[in-house]
Amino acid sequence: MWEQNLLIEPLSTPGVMAAKLLLPFGSVQDPPDQRGAHELLASLLSRGCGPLDHEAVADLVEGSGAGLRCDAQEDGLMLSLRCTVECSDLLMPLLAWMVLEPHLHPDQVALERSLTLQALQRQCEDPFHMASVGWRTLVYGTGAYGHDPMGVAEDLTRLDRDRLLPLAGRLPLGQPVLAVAGTLPAEITEHLAETKGFAQWPEPTIRTESTQPEYCLSSGSESIHLQPMDTEQVVMMLGQATISHGHSDDLALRLLQCHLGVGMSSLLFRRLREEHGVAYEVAASYPALAGPAPFMILASTGMERADQSLRLLLQCWDELRQKQLSQAELDLACAKFIGQVAHSRQTCSQRAERRVQLRAMGLADDHDQRSMNAVRNLTPEALCQAADRWLNQPKLSLCGPSESLGELQRLWNAQSAPSSSPGSTTVSS
Amino acid sequence: MELCHAVLNSPFPGPELDHWSLANGARCVMAEMPDAPLTCLDFWCRAGSVSEQDGEEGMAHFLEHMLFKGSRHLPPGAFDLAIEALGGSSNAATGFDDVHFHVLVPPERTRDALNHLLELVLQPTLDPEGFSMERDVVLEEIAQYADQPSEQVLQQLLTRGCGSHPYGRPILGQRASLKAMTPAAMDGFHRRRYLGSNCCIAVAGQSMNGLGEMLAESQLADLPSGDISTKVVQPVQVQSGRHLLSLDRLESARLLMLWSAPAASDQAAVMGIDLATTLLGEGRRSRLVKRLREELQLVESVTMDLTALENGSLITLEVICAPEALPAVEVEVNQILARTTEHAASVAELKRARQLVSNGLRYALESTGQVAAMSAGQSLWNRQQELLRPLDHLDAWDSERICSELCPALQPEQACVLIAQPGETC
Repeated sequence: MWEQNLLIEPLSTPGVMAAKLLLPFGSVQDPPDQRGAHELLASLLSRGCGPLDHEAVADLVEGSGAGLRCDAQEDGLMLSLRCTVECSDLLMPLLAWMVLEPHLHPDQVALERSLTLQALQRQCEDPFHMASVGWRTLVYGTGAYGHDPMGVAEDLTRLDRDRLLPLAGRLPLGQPVLAVAGTLPAEITEHLAETKGFAQWPEPTIRTESTQPEYCLSSGSESIHLQPMDTEQVVMMLGQATISHGHSDDLALRLLQCHLGVGMSSLLFRRLREEHGVAYEVAASYPALAGPAPFMILASTGMERADQSLRLLLQCWDELRQKQLSQAELDLACAKFIGQVAHSRQTCSQRAERRVQLRAMGLADDHDQRSMNAVRNLTPEALCQAADRWLNQPKLSLCGPSESLGELQRLWNAQSAPSSSPGSTTVSS
Repeated sequence: MELCHAVLNSPFPGPELDHWSLANGARCVMAEMPDAPLTCLDFWCRAGSVSEQDGEEGMAHFLEHMLFKGSRHLPPGAFDLAIEALGGSSNAATGFDDVHFHVLVPPERTRDALNHLLELVLQPTLDPEGFSMERDVVLEEIAQYADQPSEQVLQQLLTRGCGSHPYGRPILGQRASLKAMTPAAMDGFHRRRYLGSNCCIAVAGQSMNGLGEMLAESQLADLPSGDISTKVVQPVQVQSGRHLLSLDRLESARLLMLWSAPAASDQAAVMGIDLATTLLGEGRRSRLVKRLREELQLVESVTMDLTALENGSLITLEVICAPEALPAVEVEVNQILARTTEHAASVAELKRARQLVSNGLRYALESTGQVAAMSAGQSLWNRQQELLRPLDHLDAWDSERICSELCPALQPEQACVLIAQPGETC
């Protein structure tokens, strides 16, 4: 089985290596009333597995000066190991044991659940987090991308060992992808399938396509979410659900993201920071996901100039559809896109993660190289058309002082595009 | 002990460094990383917030922003455009002791990028219109930090613990001091601090022919040498005490402690403290995490950090917990710290800490950005050495010595303690 799903990349490093094991069970697979179940499960895998209890795992990992973690992302469960080449034979079996033989001891479940609930509570201090939660709910509703992988408190309180066991039992049955990169010992590259743990790995029986979730179940006409918070600034997030990584319009949107938010020459940085000085933090986000990924821009501004910031944010968004990029702007976006590929290949962890991500999405191993070649064929007109197709119904999430939110809502209703159904609002207490 | 020798004598010793100085005292270092996909250029200057005089609070950081607003030969935005059109990126950061500006570019464009970077940093125009606009951006940055309760609590700890020492001031400055600044005053600060002997440039990546000659003829070589001892800063001495704080936007309680530690120049001591803080607060098997989170399940997280600084280092402990758990947490933390003076680390505990400290450094040698930053930071402060060399000092710290020499100073009585709870701000 591992011949097809083991990706090896020897690299010259200071004697370190990274392993990434990706399983097709992310937060999108959380049962409807168990939001956060896969992240909770992920956090438990290193708390006892195979022949080692939770203390023995920690002794082994920390005693080797290594790093071992497991996180639920939206589309998959990612197990990550970073260690020195000298310790790899001791540590690699952990990756298999975590998937095949997790203990899920009730005490450890209770501890991790409590830690997650506390972390969720603390995140409510952060206006960026609260704006993000509001935006996600607004755009994806009760769909599979509608909640943060960390979950929702009301569901987490119901999770226990019995509810996690069925999810844990599925982990070995999905199609795994394993990538190792860095300074590698011969036994990993030649005999991994026979090493401890991996030799017992069963053939996958759950086909990835049979687990495709309903990503987006938006609740309807709401186009703005307001989260009052007693802060100095208003955080604004504007965007919509778009397309999957590898979609035929994906490269066009990726260039638009570069144009909007990558670097100090980007449109948001120049317009909001350089030309008007209304914000410190500006960004454009477009993560690589298997489903309709969020395409979102953000800014945070003091309340006295928040209306100006929102106008500029809307202006930047609308320009993508209304005005073609100049050839110079397109060339710059292409250079940034190519540069980003190089920036994301600097460590063996980064390289291994990208390889498992591509393989799990069914994309070619040389997808990035092909993309770097293909962006040169895109035209300003093609980008404008892609924006027209995918960036035509943005939704707005605001978090900040309540006296500002009302004014900004009126501005949104007056200025947002007719197609975005202004007027309907959700407000969180 | 064996471990450190194993790391240093392993076939993976880290990038080879080449150090040299220009006639004006500017330091240069090349870290050769033949397989790196990007080259990092990192310019460092002894112009952090401790360099500020009365009325200049926040100027070091504001100047860092202003240097991107145009220079003699690069109009505003031209630098960003030039670097990003190469597929590169740039950024900067201001600390207490120093400020640095770094650029990542494809290896074949290193020469262009180096010229641009030195021009940007050493020949600023400080245009009044851009000055006013960028001040608004910095004021927004201050507002953004003010909206993060965690940042506020940490700043309160530094303010109370460091007193009038510059390390107690916010690097971003205060609104009033920023509003009073002028381009002329900022130009004076730049001229006073950006001198040859205060600067260092590091290049990490593929080897570059003629780098030495190029730097010898660059704007870096044109800087006056100057007197680096224009301001004597006394070593920071944390003022012990226990303080209470309520913040209405806190969702969890915090127990924070702050201690003084020897300066970064005392590398042997710094490595010992690194071991001690790792023993206490890094990983599930560290003493604080094991007891407070894993066994008693009283806290959400424990973080213990050593910040090596030139005018005395600082050690911080942050424990996050539910407000109702605070009294028990404080008692338990105090007991754990007290026990460190009586019960030396076991063989396994010490081995674990050494592995974590050693490998932490080794992992950091993967990317050109981290290698350039470490090389330049060390060189700037006269610690030219191979990057793994600090691990040599680990040998000297056995359990007994950590217990008898370091742990007695890491007690609550020596710390500035801050208890922060949700509640009406006061």
